[in-house]
Amino acid sequence: MESHNILHVDNLSIRLDHETILNGISFDVEQGEALAIIGPNGAGKTVLFRALLGLMPYRGVVEWKKGVRIGYVPQKFFVDKSFPITVLEFFLLKSRGFWMPKPAFLAHLQHELSLVGLSKDILVKPVSELSGGQLQRILISWAMVNHPDVLLFDEPTAGIDVGAEETIYTILHKLQNDRGTTVLLISHDLNIVYRYANKVLCVNKTMICHGKPKDILNPEELAHIYGEGGFYHHPEQESL
Amino acid sequence: MITNLPFETIIISFVIGIASGAIGAFIILRRMALVGDALSHVALPGIALALVYGIDPFWGVVSFCVAGVMIVWMLERKTRLHSDALIGLLFTFSLAIGILTIPDTEILESLFGTFAPLSFPVFVFITATGILLIALTFLFAKRFLFSIISPDLAHIESPRSSRWYELAFFIIFAFIVALGIKLVGTLLMGALTIIPASIAKNISRSMSGYIIISALFGGFTSLFGVTLASKMGFLPGPTIILLGIGLFAVSLFFTRKT
Repeated sequence: MESHNILHVDNLSIRLDHETILNGISFDVEQGEALAIIGPNGAGKTVLFRALLGLMPYRGVVEWKKGVRIGYVPQKFFVDKSFPITVLEFFLLKSRGFWMPKPAFLAHLQHELSLVGLSKDILVKPVSELSGGQLQRILISWAMVNHPDVLLFDEPTAGIDVGAEETIYTILHKLQNDRGTTVLLISHDLNIVYRYANKVLCVNKTMICHGKPKDILNPEELAHIYGEGGFYHHPEQESL
Repeated sequence: MITNLPFETIIISFVIGIASGAIGAFIILRRMALVGDALSHVALPGIALALVYGIDPFWGVVSFCVAGVMIVWMLERKTRLHSDALIGLLFTFSLAIGILTIPDTEILESLFGTFAPLSFPVFVFITATGILLIALTFLFAKRFLFSIISPDLAHIESPRSSRWYELAFFIIFAFIVALGIKLVGTLLMGALTIIPASIAKNISRSMSGYIIISALFGGFTSLFGVTLASKMGFLPGPTIILLGIGLFAVSLFFTRKT
């Protein structure tokens, strides 16, 4: 692996129940890069993330830079409504002192929450009582709290209203600029991808393209990725 | 029946109660409420074998419970069955073997617990083990909780160790079940782990509060249960469990709104 690369993927294939989910995926991610992964519903984007995170078996090579710390914001995250866990306790899962939180961690936490536009009052709330937008910000903050080198972000704005969606990208951009965090992002929103990512990886069971957004996000390539005419509709609406 | 409760019984019931309540908090969150029940029955053949060879049944119980959870832990990787189904299989197998092999005179005691007099070394051993199990449960609470809330995120946070904490959880649980069988017997041990946590879940607003309240309810329910049983001349196991169920009914009036 070249030294400025943080991730090297070579000929990655995933089969589940005798069905090929992904085949022959190869790409590198440079330190500080913002890579967007696009493709239609069912293309295997989330599965790709899960393989990169070591959460499912695969064939091929997934090589992270040694000692790299990874933050992950999953697409779906539910805490059972009956679980009496507060937001603070959810964060304490990532600290050393669960029973006796260290004052330094609490101060740091307060700062991290302010970056995603939340006040410390939210810490005493049960996680099950958060709104969708609050939970999403908490999850981003949770993934970022120990300052990971890489952030994997799966459909960060699914189920969130447009205002909140903009805010989340503003936050993400700010965190990336301030900390130089490498970001891998799955998104349906090509507008966001165009504005935000400096590399794009298109998958639909196999790897279709990999390159800079301005080279890839043109009607011909998109028709290739999503099928003829498919990209003119918003993919979320398509699935309705 | 004994009317004056020995000091040792008071201490042991309190310690075992706390340990059961503490681990029970996680058992309820993991939706393994009936697994403790099943696991305690795995102990029956252990009791039988120990009686045959004339050693303290406790050792038979410990070895069978620990072996039981190890088998479940390993089988979980090999099949797609959840741990409850696997333990269910082991449980019926063990119950059948246990009932066929335990001498009739010992069956009632094995099933419902006893005030059996303890030698001093055994008393010290049980108390120390109980305290150690409580300490380990609280020490690993964060790890246990993490893998319940999100196994994926827990794995990403510590890819190498998350599975070993899973095993540690099962082994602690097996030891607590083994200790609890002494107090309430195999039939009711499962209840001793789930009743305090059910009460605590009704009334807690935070996770730390939930675990602590569950541990305390476990301790005091079994302490008052054995005291009551000894005064009234009842079997301790059913008395503790009925007292716990009574407290659970009361807790329903204080249930937190979700």
